[in-house]
Amino acid sequence: MTNFAQQVLEEVTRIPGVRGALLVSEDDGLIVAEALMEGVDGPAVAALAASLTGRLGRATRALGKAAPVLLHLQATGGAVFSAAGGEGLLLVAVTAADVNAGLVRLSLLDAAGRLS
Amino acid sequence: MSDDIQTWSAQLASDPGSLVFLPLAEALRRRGQLDAALAVAQGGVSRYPELADAHDLLGRIRSDRGDTALAQEAWTNALRLQPDLVGAHKGLGYLCYRAGDLQKSLRHLESAMELVPDDSQAQAALQRVRGLLAQPLRPAVGDPFEGGEAGTLLVDSQGRRLGGVMLRSDGTDASDAMAAELSGVSREARRTVRLLGLGEWHSLYLETPGMNLVMQEPRSETLLVLARGPEVPVGRLPLLADRATTLARRWMDKLG
Amino acid sequence: MRAIEPWVEGPLTTFLTESSARLVLLMTSAGQVIAQHGFTRSLDVMAAAALGAGIVASTGELAKLLGPSPFGALVHQGTNQAVFLAPFTTPRGRWIGLVVYGKETSLGLIQLFFNRMVEDLSQSAPVEHARRAVLAENFEHELNASLRALFGR
Repeated sequence: MTNFAQQVLEEVTRIPGVRGALLVSEDDGLIVAEALMEGVDGPAVAALAASLTGRLGRATRALGKAAPVLLHLQATGGAVFSAAGGEGLLLVAVTAADVNAGLVRLSLLDAAGRLS
Repeated sequence: MSDDIQTWSAQLASDPGSLVFLPLAEALRRRGQLDAALAVAQGGVSRYPELADAHDLLGRIRSDRGDTALAQEAWTNALRLQPDLVGAHKGLGYLCYRAGDLQKSLRHLESAMELVPDDSQAQAALQRVRGLLAQPLRPAVGDPFEGGEAGTLLVDSQGRRLGGVMLRSDGTDASDAMAAELSGVSREARRTVRLLGLGEWHSLYLETPGMNLVMQEPRSETLLVLARGPEVPVGRLPLLADRATTLARRWMDKLG
Repeated sequence: MRAIEPWVEGPLTTFLTESSARLVLLMTSAGQVIAQHGFTRSLDVMAAAALGAGIVASTGELAKLLGPSPFGALVHQGTNQAVFLAPFTTPRGRWIGLVVYGKETSLGLIQLFFNRMVEDLSQSAPVEHARRAVLAENFEHELNASLRALFGR
């Protein structure tokens, strides 16, 4: 699992502008596997992305929907993506602001599907 | 829940003619396993084409998947078989609401209320639709029917609804529950980008089975949420959100 | 939140706000309480501080037996809440943080903001003055004074 996860994360990081990809436990917000560029604070990304995903999952359940399959937080200096990876895991990516968001989205959904 | 699903799956496997497909598909739908729910429900409808409840279930699943036309077809079939099926009236009431046909939505919800007068979900949806019909203008925050929109909601930092409406797929009003759960999302988004050194956040997109949502902060500590069915391309969401945010700012400026 | 040393209040308040922890106790490695949040009875604080310091001491010894690297944080996950216990170094010596948290937050957030609090404490600590030895004859007096400060009594 870990080798396969590592391979999947590295595929995500090949997209230009992706600064790191992590497999994160949704409940704990801890890193399970990571492929990060220098300067990316992995534990912070994991904890914050899991927390935001969990909070928004409660909101979508209030709407009668399942938890989000994909979250994309866009900021002026970059973006955070989080995809449900099955078995309580999240696939998280941190990117530059000018990344191809469509490509990251598809790549994460594909990777999350393979990890599920 | 998963125990029930396992039990019902085993029952259905050993007896494909069992009516257990009804609770099984509903349980899968509630868990968001819409593909599996659809497969089970379609199997049930093929086996029991005259069972209105099976068509009603199919309508709920297709509505959750965002297959509006197919959901409408399923609920119409359900009503043809059983004109007093409350679930189908509520489902069609919701679809008509989403399509902007408030008069038709009103008729279906009134039928549901006549059949089950103490149905609080139908009552809440009916009040919402009556309220919208009574307003000279549509809800202040954007136009909830534009672009197949499933709802627009403006929330303050305390988790209270400032404007707009958000309905569940069964037509019940989720606005206040959503508002309460969204309290703190702006703060958390701001904290996330601050601690990761990503500047200022401006949009948050969520994809769920059957519905996509986009959130922006028109003013500090307020959150605007737009929900759209999957028929609206993902790339259009930022444009719609930007426009709704501009409208929301104007509206709040008018309030002072 | 109550702290014996005022400079601890800022970092601890930030930690509480960001982490959503339910209970927090900061103590020296000898079990002397520095600050607390969420405890309502002084007896609980004293017991928690003594037990927390004891656990850190015993796991430290266990780590020495098992290998060259010392243990970091210790986490006990319960059904409804969890306990996070971690020693850390400050300009005032080795301290211990005991944090109780629930499902409203996560271990990742607790660790993230705990580490930031440790950094903040290092930066906020005033220049050290000569440390007084805690003598047996004035220990009880010091303890009572600390508890008065921690509970505002």
